[in-house]
Amino acid sequence: MAALPKRIIKETERLTKEPVPGISAVPHDDNLRYFDVTIDGPSQSPYEGGLFKLELFLPDDYPMTPPKVRFLTKIYHPNIDRLGRICLDVLKSNWSPALQIRTILLSIQALLGAPNPDDPLANDVAQTWKENQEQAISTAKEWTAKYATRDTNPTS
Amino acid sequence: MKWNKTYQIVLQNEGFPPEWIESAISYSQLKKCIKRLTKELRQMGLDPPTLDKLLKHVEDYNASTTSHLNDRPFEYILSDGTGSKKTFQPKLLFYVDEATGGLHGAKFDAETSEKLQMLAVETGVSDVKIYEVCEPEEPEPTDSPRSDDMVTANPSVRPGYRIVEIPLTSDTEFFTTLARQLSGLEALESREERRMQGEIEDLGKQIARLTDPDRKANKKVLAAWRQIFQLYVEEDIFFGATERDHSARDAAKATFRFHEFCTKIAELGLVDKVRKKEGAQALNMFMQINRELLQGLRFGEINRTAMSKILKKFDKRTALGVKSTVPSTISYPQFSQDLAKAVCAEVNTQILSHVPQLDDYSCPMCMDLKWRPVKLQCGHTFCIRCLIVMQTNKQDRCPLCREITVVGANSDNLDEELANFLKKWFPEEVKAKQKYNELMAGVDAYGEVYKDKCSVM
Repeated sequence: MAALPKRIIKETERLTKEPVPGISAVPHDDNLRYFDVTIDGPSQSPYEGGLFKLELFLPDDYPMTPPKVRFLTKIYHPNIDRLGRICLDVLKSNWSPALQIRTILLSIQALLGAPNPDDPLANDVAQTWKENQEQAISTAKEWTAKYATRDTNPTS
Repeated sequence: MKWNKTYQIVLQNEGFPPEWIESAISYSQLKKCIKRLTKELRQMGLDPPTLDKLLKHVEDYNASTTSHLNDRPFEYILSDGTGSKKTFQPKLLFYVDEATGGLHGAKFDAETSEKLQMLAVETGVSDVKIYEVCEPEEPEPTDSPRSDDMVTANPSVRPGYRIVEIPLTSDTEFFTTLARQLSGLEALESREERRMQGEIEDLGKQIARLTDPDRKANKKVLAAWRQIFQLYVEEDIFFGATERDHSARDAAKATFRFHEFCTKIAELGLVDKVRKKEGAQALNMFMQINRELLQGLRFGEINRTAMSKILKKFDKRTALGVKSTVPSTISYPQFSQDLAKAVCAEVNTQILSHVPQLDDYSCPMCMDLKWRPVKLQCGHTFCIRCLIVMQTNKQDRCPLCREITVVGANSDNLDEELANFLKKWFPEEVKAKQKYNELMAGVDAYGEVYKDKCSVM
């Protein structure tokens, strides 16, 4: 495998030394481009109290192309589908090579705090979100309590 | 061990300069003032339980009404707010019902009321009929000189009530002493700051000379100094610089971090690398400045504790509740914190700035040195390699501002001024990046095979 670019080394160092509050990202020992990520559900959101696991992969041409990020923990959110794929502009068309792992994870955390049902990925969730927001939020809370718990969902 | 004793021992053993020890808050002197004040109050029948009840009553009263300043039966005033901020005339004010001699609006248990009645009688309240003008007697003869002490006070005159004012002599002494010592500490701080500023300035000049890249002899030591300063900045010795922690460090933490920094420097053999007599001297001076700052932090902390302890004792003994009402004029000068801030700022501008750090000149994309630097039309600068890759990928927008400036960049965009600067200050890094760029250009032209061939060389 090709040597790890300086950029990835630097980002990893900083993530370890100066972690973002409520976010952790730890690279695999055998593949330093693959990260185990956890994000705390933002306070005053239906995801509050939950700990969400994600996987993040840096493709070969990173940072010219965005990292690939996916939720591993089941989550009820209009912009995240059943497979954990995330609909977020900065992960796609609005990616910029000056963005970083930490900024992307912050954007994802912010997305949890501000769901956007007008640009849905999970259509059924988005529809409920628009038609019966109370119901949607309560389901999101239920799922958080059920799937995003700290015990069954350990930080690794 | 009693705190006062601990305090004395710390002051003696920390190796503070004699001048500092003289300026330290004299806990025992203030303690004596409290003793005298307690005696004074007791002579008036105002022992702590009684005062406590009175003040509690006032507090309850304040809590139950919005019109704070009126109808208070009793007040403790630290300073009349007219004179200069360093004068204190602490006094107790009672609003006494002319008819009954009782306190206005106050409902107390029998014991307290009795004591107040006594006080009223002793102070001659019941003899005087008119509230504006009166010539009250001394509460009782005391050892302190008191003349015309009891006068009707001007604040909030209320019909039907007389205001009795009792000045507290020992209390005045307490706060005057404390204020004097605090301003002494403040003066000490600014003297120290000026002295250290001088040191820092001198050292800054020395560092500038030692690292001047135009002098050939400095070529080797430049990298060593850069590494020392980088480690220094990364250790965040005096202040946190992360998203999680912006706070100032306490002395213990800062000392620990400073030791970490020293260990790292020793481990990396950087002490030898700065070489020559002059370099070692400068490094010693740098360490000395930091040690002085740590000592300042410790001194500030112990004084702040002394101040907080003495106010606590004051309240315990007198129940006057100064700790919560103590005016800002005698708040503790942020001795060490301010000193640390000022000195760190000086260290940054006068010393560290002489040696540019790589991080300030790295490309936001590859995070390596911006070599060769290309300045886009939008004003953002990247290394040429990253921009070539972007152009090949048809990524047109500036990574920082998203303006469509990448596509039009050409050799006119080379930033020659920055290039010269980088060549001067980062000769090794420039060489390495140049080599890498050439290698990658070869890969672009001939494919990945080129890389393997090249690495054989």
